[in-house]
Amino acid sequence: MENIIEVKNLTKLYKKKKAIDDLSFDVYKGEILGFLGPNGSGKSTTINCILSLLNFNKGNIKIFGREMSPNAYDIKRKIGVVFQDVAVFEELTVYDNIDFFCGLYVSNNNKRKKYIEDAINLVGLQEFKKYYPKQLSGGLLRRLNIACGIAHKPEIIFLDEPTVAVDPQSRNNILEGIKKLRSDGATIIYTTHYMEEVEMICDRVIVLDKGKIIAKGTTDELKYLAKIKEKITVEAKEISNQNLNQIKQLPEVQNISYENGILKISYENEKNNLENIIDFLKNNQIKYRKIYSERPTLNDVFLELTGKELRD
Amino acid sequence: MFFHNFKYTLKALLRNKGLIFWTLAFPLIMALFFNMAFSNIEKQDKFKAINVAVVTNEYYENNTMLKETFELLSDENNKDRVFDSKYVNQDEAKELLEEEKIDGYVVFSEDSQQIIVNKNGVNQTILKFVVEEIVQAEDTADIIQEKVENIFNSREENGIMETLKSIIILLQNNSANIKDNSDANLSYMTIEFFTLVAMTCLYGGILGAVAINWCLANMSNVGKRLSMTPVSKLKMVISGTLAGYLIQLVGVALLFIFTIGILKIDFGNKTFEMVVLALVGSFAGLTMGVAVTAAIKTSENAKTGILIGFTMLGCFFAGMMGVSMKYLIDKSVPIINKLNPANMITDGFYSLYYYDTLDRFYGNICGLCIFSAIMLAIAIVSLRKQKYESI
Repeated sequence: MENIIEVKNLTKLYKKKKAIDDLSFDVYKGEILGFLGPNGSGKSTTINCILSLLNFNKGNIKIFGREMSPNAYDIKRKIGVVFQDVAVFEELTVYDNIDFFCGLYVSNNNKRKKYIEDAINLVGLQEFKKYYPKQLSGGLLRRLNIACGIAHKPEIIFLDEPTVAVDPQSRNNILEGIKKLRSDGATIIYTTHYMEEVEMICDRVIVLDKGKIIAKGTTDELKYLAKIKEKITVEAKEISNQNLNQIKQLPEVQNISYENGILKISYENEKNNLENIIDFLKNNQIKYRKIYSERPTLNDVFLELTGKELRD
Repeated sequence: MFFHNFKYTLKALLRNKGLIFWTLAFPLIMALFFNMAFSNIEKQDKFKAINVAVVTNEYYENNTMLKETFELLSDENNKDRVFDSKYVNQDEAKELLEEEKIDGYVVFSEDSQQIIVNKNGVNQTILKFVVEEIVQAEDTADIIQEKVENIFNSREENGIMETLKSIIILLQNNSANIKDNSDANLSYMTIEFFTLVAMTCLYGGILGAVAINWCLANMSNVGKRLSMTPVSKLKMVISGTLAGYLIQLVGVALLFIFTIGILKIDFGNKTFEMVVLALVGSFAGLTMGVAVTAAIKTSENAKTGILIGFTMLGCFFAGMMGVSMKYLIDKSVPIINKLNPANMITDGFYSLYYYDTLDRFYGNICGLCIFSAIMLAIAIVSLRKQKYESI
């Protein structure tokens, strides 16, 4: 796999506090690399250091095999950035905003017109071309923000939490758009604190906490890191303490909790657990309303690695 | 890319209602209010000569030129009459002043002239101004008289030529007298309009500030995005501020059209110099906006507030709320108005209007150029930074 970005020993201090602590990772051509971590974990700071917007104290960053710097215009030409905060002109229409930003990369008018149409179609803003940003909903504004960052068809796209505070329809539209960009050949670096998004679109994930990489790999590889392999939830109003102790003794059960009529059982492996618990409930004549099984999520992995939830 | 950024910055600036109000509409509204407020005052005061007393001491009695000038300026039959003079001794003059029957009195002596007033006001300012001009003219006449006598006493041809040359230079240097003493030329309303032009020129700084804010990654989200484009910061900054400058010049032009064409305010007839002053003044305003934006890290609104505040304070010191303030600052703390761009612009127009020579005008142009150069230096030092500690 071709390396497109190399980050080595990146360290960034805000006064004496380490915002990024010795990060090293590579980004491969054509992949979607997810940066997952809670707020303040260093995701945006990492991106801003890679983009040469922020000074850093230690480390080395190469893009396309060359040192990144504020004057590396030939590298910048191939990069598209969608920042966390919406960065558009309030005074320009949707079309003008995209045309302005695209025009700073593409000077050929005909080519640019086509690129703008492609971007508008990708984010689904066809009906809003003449609207001003103030007239758009939060979700549509986010879509405009994305269109402005990707209209020039960059080879590398940085998306910094592009779905924060958007409605489900816009979120789906944005995620589908990102997959389309990847299938068109772009390499994408995607930061978020929504694990569902990472699971949905990312090929590889780097989990950050307090500026450090605490895990990296594919979503399956990360989930394998968790000791819990299956979680079963039973909605039953009355379970005696004796029965709860018996459940604890069932094979592969790692942990149980029972609160407000909801029993949660964690298993260390995923063989026949559902069958076993259903048998137990039947044999002990315990009535239940619902029972379902889940695989561990990235949040479980994060919880296990850091002792806190992703959205804490 | 340069024209592309220029075009869209211009478009964005023109669609910013707040900016357009402050830079284009507000000066016109102010001009209208000034005209409504001051024209009535002027009408009331137009034919009212200033009540003054001249102390008739020995020096005055023996100085024919002073006597004749004062009598001429106080002559009831003179349509350009400025003073309603009383010729009294010092005690009587004091009494008249205490009883507020006169606006001030003048005591001439060999070394100096004293103008005694008991309050600041337009009449007092005019009195001081006119008396100073009379004394300056008298001094010039004395020097010329002395030099002419030298010519007749000189026996060397070269000496005569040198003395004649020095008289010509003296006459040129001292020709900065009032053109005439007509009511129009003593209009203190005109100076309010000069300060208004200064305000419009300096308000252009807001346009520069906004245009620059858009280019800086540590100042705005748009700036972050623009910092990631393959266009150099210098190109972005120059094309952006140029767009701001263009709108600023339109604002100044509109003000001139409105005040000269509709309100019939007389700005004099040195059109070329007026245009040069407006261009240089606007550039000073623009560089001030750029420097404030580049050097101070705060919100766009706060920067606009700083620029508006600085401009208004500068205009206040330059005489926007009354010409006596300009006089007071010039007299008490002259350094303030020497550094005040609003005063440099106001004074530039003032000197174009009242003086035949351009020395004072060029002095103000130089002052504005130095001010702009300092602002540019601050801006360049601040803008050179390409990576930030935090954004």
